[in-house]
Amino acid sequence: MLIPRKYEPIIVAAALLIIALIVLSYSISRLSETGLLRKMVLEVAAPVEDVLNVSLAGLQDAWKRYLFLVGQEDENRKLRKQNAALAEQLNRYREGYQEGLRLQKLLGLTEAFQHRAVAARVIDRDRASLFKTLLINKGTADGLRVGLPVLSDQGVVGRIIETSWHASRVLLLIDENSNIDALIQRSRTQGILQGAGPAGCNLKYISRADEVQNGDVVVTSGLAGVFPKGLLLGVVTAASRRDGGFFQKIDLAPAVDFRKLEEVLALAPVKDTEKKP
Amino acid sequence: MIYYLLLPVLLLLMVIAQITILDVLSPGSIGMEVSLIVVIYAGFHLDALRGGILSLVLGFFLDCLTSAIFGLFTFLYVLIFFLSLTVAGKVYAEKPALIASFTGLCTLLEGMVIVLLYRFVLGADILYAIPQIFIPQAIVIGLLSPLFFGLFHRFEDYIHAEDTRPARRL
Repeated sequence: MLIPRKYEPIIVAAALLIIALIVLSYSISRLSETGLLRKMVLEVAAPVEDVLNVSLAGLQDAWKRYLFLVGQEDENRKLRKQNAALAEQLNRYREGYQEGLRLQKLLGLTEAFQHRAVAARVIDRDRASLFKTLLINKGTADGLRVGLPVLSDQGVVGRIIETSWHASRVLLLIDENSNIDALIQRSRTQGILQGAGPAGCNLKYISRADEVQNGDVVVTSGLAGVFPKGLLLGVVTAASRRDGGFFQKIDLAPAVDFRKLEEVLALAPVKDTEKKP
Repeated sequence: MIYYLLLPVLLLLMVIAQITILDVLSPGSIGMEVSLIVVIYAGFHLDALRGGILSLVLGFFLDCLTSAIFGLFTFLYVLIFFLSLTVAGKVYAEKPALIASFTGLCTLLEGMVIVLLYRFVLGADILYAIPQIFIPQAIVIGLLSPLFFGLFHRFEDYIHAEDTRPARRL
């Protein structure tokens, strides 16, 4: 051996730490497509997780059903679903009305984003982890790739951060690492929606001069090109001018109940052959 | 050689079990990070190369399946492994009290690195996570670690017993 045995641990430590640091700094500095090795891990793990979660969910369901009133639970579920659908419908009408008013003034405005919706099933979610992600059962084979937006019937869920051939991981909008260009529907004030973990989200960079009220609906602004414009993000729950420096401190309750997500829609770009003339 | 072939399979299964079964059993937002106990155990019992690779692979799998920042756990686990290796070289690392307190400290260290990374690199303030997640997690994992060390000992003994079984007489 060229290296004395005494120094072997130090050299191994240095080498492994350098490798780990390179991987970390590379992933922080750029949003890259998922590598082959990561794809393979995700591809192998996703079905196993799916089977385990289905079994666990089955057990939990059985437990709940025997312990609680089945009828009330079902009715609650139906009503919540109906409520969410109506809220989304109302938001769409409101957004459409405001858009119509603007369009009267700005003739010739064209829709910049064209998307194809890919329905996917949630197969796992981080329950206890600091990171807020979930695993869905569609991947690059269905046209998904890193960075695509993911929605539910209630609103925006997040964006894809990792894909394998048949599974993808979605970073939820409540994760602290998530930043989405947003605007307040009523006043059209633009800001950045950043995840705040269990506290929901914060709307950042809204000037102290702008008027923000509790209950204001916040939608995607469509500026960064990731999310189409006008998708429901959440509702303002608190706005304070006291702390936050030049800007207001605005708390937001996300529109989506992430604990109960079962199906989502990923918006994949339309292929050239599918585009309307 | 078998060690390096079996290692990824066993570690992947462990990570999957951790993020599915143990996640359901975890109280509130406290994650049952058994993988961290494995890394510390490796630091106390394995040599630099074997343990280092184990930590790297374990961190990589956890990054693939849970982390929002790829490479975070790979870096943290390698760091914690070499910290454990250094401590094991200086003290008698078999006392339950030492195992529990060192595991607790490592969980806190992991949390602090994540908070600092979010604060200074990603510009997100997650200080709330220290009292709400990392301190309770450090206590729970610290208290459970001697138990897991015992289980890992038994598993190791079982593997060695298989290895050292005498050859059959003809």
